[in-house]
Amino acid sequence: MSLLEIKNLTKSFGGLTANQKVNIAVEEGEIVGLIGPNGAGKTTLFNCVTGHYRPDSGQVIFDGHDITGWSPERICKAGLVRTFQIVKPFMSMSVLENVMTAGFLHTNSTAVAKKNASELLEFTGLADKRRMVAGNLTVADKKRLELTRALATKPKMLMFDEVMAGLTATETNDAIDLILALHRQGITILLVEHVMEVVMPISKRVNVLDYGVKIAEGEPAQIARNERVIKAYLGEKYRAPG
Amino acid sequence: MEETIVTEQARPFPIKTLILLLLAAALLAFPLVVSLPFPRRLMILILLYAMLGQAWNILGGFAGQVSLGHAAFFGVGAYTSTMLLMQLGLTPWLGMIAGGLVAVALSQLIGYPSFRLKGHYFVIATIVLAEIVHIMFTNWDYVGGAVGLTLPLLPESLINLQFHSGNAPYYYISLALLAIVMGVTYLITKTKPGYYFRSIKDDPEAARSLGISITRYKMFAMAVSAFFTGVGGAFYAQFVLYIDPNSVFSFMLSVLIMLIPVLGGIGTLWGPVLGAFILIPLSEFTRIYLGGVGGALDLVVYGALIMLVAIFEPRGIWALVERFFGGRK
Repeated sequence: MSLLEIKNLTKSFGGLTANQKVNIAVEEGEIVGLIGPNGAGKTTLFNCVTGHYRPDSGQVIFDGHDITGWSPERICKAGLVRTFQIVKPFMSMSVLENVMTAGFLHTNSTAVAKKNASELLEFTGLADKRRMVAGNLTVADKKRLELTRALATKPKMLMFDEVMAGLTATETNDAIDLILALHRQGITILLVEHVMEVVMPISKRVNVLDYGVKIAEGEPAQIARNERVIKAYLGEKYRAPG
Repeated sequence: MEETIVTEQARPFPIKTLILLLLAAALLAFPLVVSLPFPRRLMILILLYAMLGQAWNILGGFAGQVSLGHAAFFGVGAYTSTMLLMQLGLTPWLGMIAGGLVAVALSQLIGYPSFRLKGHYFVIATIVLAEIVHIMFTNWDYVGGAVGLTLPLLPESLINLQFHSGNAPYYYISLALLAIVMGVTYLITKTKPGYYFRSIKDDPEAARSLGISITRYKMFAMAVSAFFTGVGGAFYAQFVLYIDPNSVFSFMLSVLIMLIPVLGGIGTLWGPVLGAFILIPLSEFTRIYLGGVGGALDLVVYGALIMLVAIFEPRGIWALVERFFGGRK
């Protein structure tokens, strides 16, 4: 059984159908990519799955539970945790306090939360910035913080919404290394990106959305050769010769 | 190099403990040194309003839910203890706790619908609901209606919470109440609820996605806040021995309760104390010297102060203090 199963999910805003009968399954321990051009409905799908929007129809099954329509906090407690495309650190708190706040999900002790948060910051490489106010971090570090904070809730599965958008090449590589490290710890990952290059090398399977409809699914190599994907996603001029 | 700003308090400089001890000693010794009733009365009001400001600060400062309806909690606290005393002869000490609990019940009633609203809409909802309570009490004859209630004069004793020969006991009680609220607030800031409150203030959406039930914690902040505001109301009734809807339910009281932490330092432990020490004397003295002519001139002074704070240090006067001491640590 899949860890996360999105079944026939439809969501529309007025006359605009942002997601139409989308089906995506993610197996336990996988890294799965979800790509699509701007406006393809990736973030909407994301919000429907994590409880920020209520889908018009369809189902979301996570870890054996039908989580359709659950609140975001309940979904997080079930083990499915997201990050935001536009990072949302708790601006007035220090880096350490940000991570501690998330860690309080599993403990009532400030000392335990602090110890766990410190270890996680060590792992994600933010330890030396632990006392900085989150609002003063660089974009790359804010994204790293958001990831660390999500980790502090001890998720079974992480959903990253464009976690690498706006990063430099070096920062992107660091982020990829970190994601692979999480993967090795057994955390299932759904990566949403519109920059294809970062998803392709690390995803086992890739789903492609265009105008709210899933147009392709497969291994990265297949996807890169898929006619419809190339046309919809990259534009005519990138079509491979032959 | 850009200075690294740190939210954890700059390492406690040793003089900080010293200042705290000196402050505590000065507050404890005050009635022994000053025997005139007016300065004592002023100090009692300062301590009471510092407590109310801190109670507001738990909800408005830490959890970021700005309420302009706290007079409702103050008023039901005052009325509950007074009615229990007049009808059942219950000691005001239990009345105080009962008043706090009734305020909690009211806060949950107000909070449940209001917390569905955000930002300004929440503020407006608290104003409206508090005004409804105000009007209800004005028209409720059983509790004295618009005329209000005069508390029965009882023999002076601790259990009756009435002291006629001197107001030093009131002073120590208000000091103790403030100390309790300060202690509770300190505890909150150092533990899970405090972290959750701040996360809700900073980014409710992110808080929810991290598994934090924001409505539950907002209601909790509101309950703690309302409880101490209600207790403060009950104490006020005992101290003044007369309450009426316009004195304990007025919108201006809600504004004053909010202004104290806003001026002193919103979301800080010492801001409300500082705010009360500035605002309350200011209000009393402007009323004494200008009140007869201007009527609402004290309010003009409040307004001017708030503008000054908003322009020069929106985080309140406490931020100036921290900046001053932070610079030479």
